[in-house]
Amino acid sequence: MNDSTAIEIPFHHRQSAHCETGVLSNLVSHHGLEISEAMVFGIGSGLFFGYFPFVRLNKLPLTAYRIATGGIMSRTTKRLGIRLEWQKFRSPGKAMAALDRMLEAGVPVGCRTGAYWLSYFPPRYRFHFNMHNLVAFGKNNGSYRISDPVFPDPVDCPAEDLAKARFAKGSMAPKGRMYHVAHVPGADEMDLAGAVRKGIKEVCRSMLRVPGPFIGAKGIRYLAKKVENWPAKLGDRRAALHLGQIIRMQEEIGTGGGGFRFIYAAFLQEAAPILALPVLSELSDRMTEIGDRWRDFAVIGSRICKARASESESYSALAEILRDCADREAALFADLEDAVR
Amino acid sequence: MNQLAKSKIDPPDLKQSLKIMIVQELNLVDVNPWEIEDDDPLFGDKFGLDSIDAVEVVFQIKAHFGVVIRDMKEGRKVLQSINTLSEFIEKHRPA
Repeated sequence: MNDSTAIEIPFHHRQSAHCETGVLSNLVSHHGLEISEAMVFGIGSGLFFGYFPFVRLNKLPLTAYRIATGGIMSRTTKRLGIRLEWQKFRSPGKAMAALDRMLEAGVPVGCRTGAYWLSYFPPRYRFHFNMHNLVAFGKNNGSYRISDPVFPDPVDCPAEDLAKARFAKGSMAPKGRMYHVAHVPGADEMDLAGAVRKGIKEVCRSMLRVPGPFIGAKGIRYLAKKVENWPAKLGDRRAALHLGQIIRMQEEIGTGGGGFRFIYAAFLQEAAPILALPVLSELSDRMTEIGDRWRDFAVIGSRICKARASESESYSALAEILRDCADREAALFADLEDAVR
Repeated sequence: MNQLAKSKIDPPDLKQSLKIMIVQELNLVDVNPWEIEDDDPLFGDKFGLDSIDAVEVVFQIKAHFGVVIRDMKEGRKVLQSINTLSEFIEKHRPA
């Protein structure tokens, strides 16, 4: 592409809670299928709980409130009959040239990137995460116009920084991966209600019936037991580090708050008229209450981490909140499964 | 504080209330509320606040002003300074 020629594809940028759901929602909406971030999250069966003491992130056990990165996109596109065309590259030069060709053709392009190298992130918010999604929709004077769903408005990224981000090294390296929407089915070809139903059923299964102690409502109870024992087993300092990691995963890492429970509540609200099941609106309200309980956990946990806790705000109190969350989620997903059966 | 916050507070007083709330609720023993400038970054080196403290601020905003910040992404934008926080509360406070 001649850099003196500015390209800007008319692309509607919407900020979202989470990059994977936000990018897919924005890309598909560009192609005429208006679908919210919450709907993408729900159809893709994004909600999850897992506590994996043997998997370490920053040397601390992994707590997951959503399915593995990439899973929402693949399930949602499959269930709605959307076709994404993916490419990956060995050479940054070829990867950037391929991106330019798509932009010249007027096609907005999703890119996998290492967020650490994206220079429009303020330095203290940069972190090493190699599955960050964004959309490139223009280029001018050697910089790309980027719709990054984490940001309120489109941003510019110099070509060399974007190239570095697309070829970030390390775990889950993006290897220049890029994708664009090749086909969006028309309303008459698409089974939206069927996709919603499948999305719900899979979440119910993972929250209620995955064997072993680590996943779903059982996983929340397992975490409760661990949390209760942390002060005695790990000492105050290490216990606070473990707790801080959970709070960050729950409230900060693109979760929409409450460990994705608020986004899922929004999905159930939208799903009610699609499936003609008013009970889903009631379940949405219950899901919001559960999100609030998770937030209670985060607030008390933050006080413990920062030595501001009152006498009653203890690790035992946290464990009780977790057990309450587990009971409520087990009941909710059983009712949800019945509703869509 | 709760009474103050729930009564009709004009914007300058709202900012003072927020400063007092942050210092008291986060136990910032070495910070005087009046030292916080309206456009000071709340999080980062100056006051030593981090994302764990943000959870408490979000909780206190709801408790004192009835304004809910559901999403920490939204929160990140709102919690930048006393100015951004007071603007958000003014806009979203229940009538």
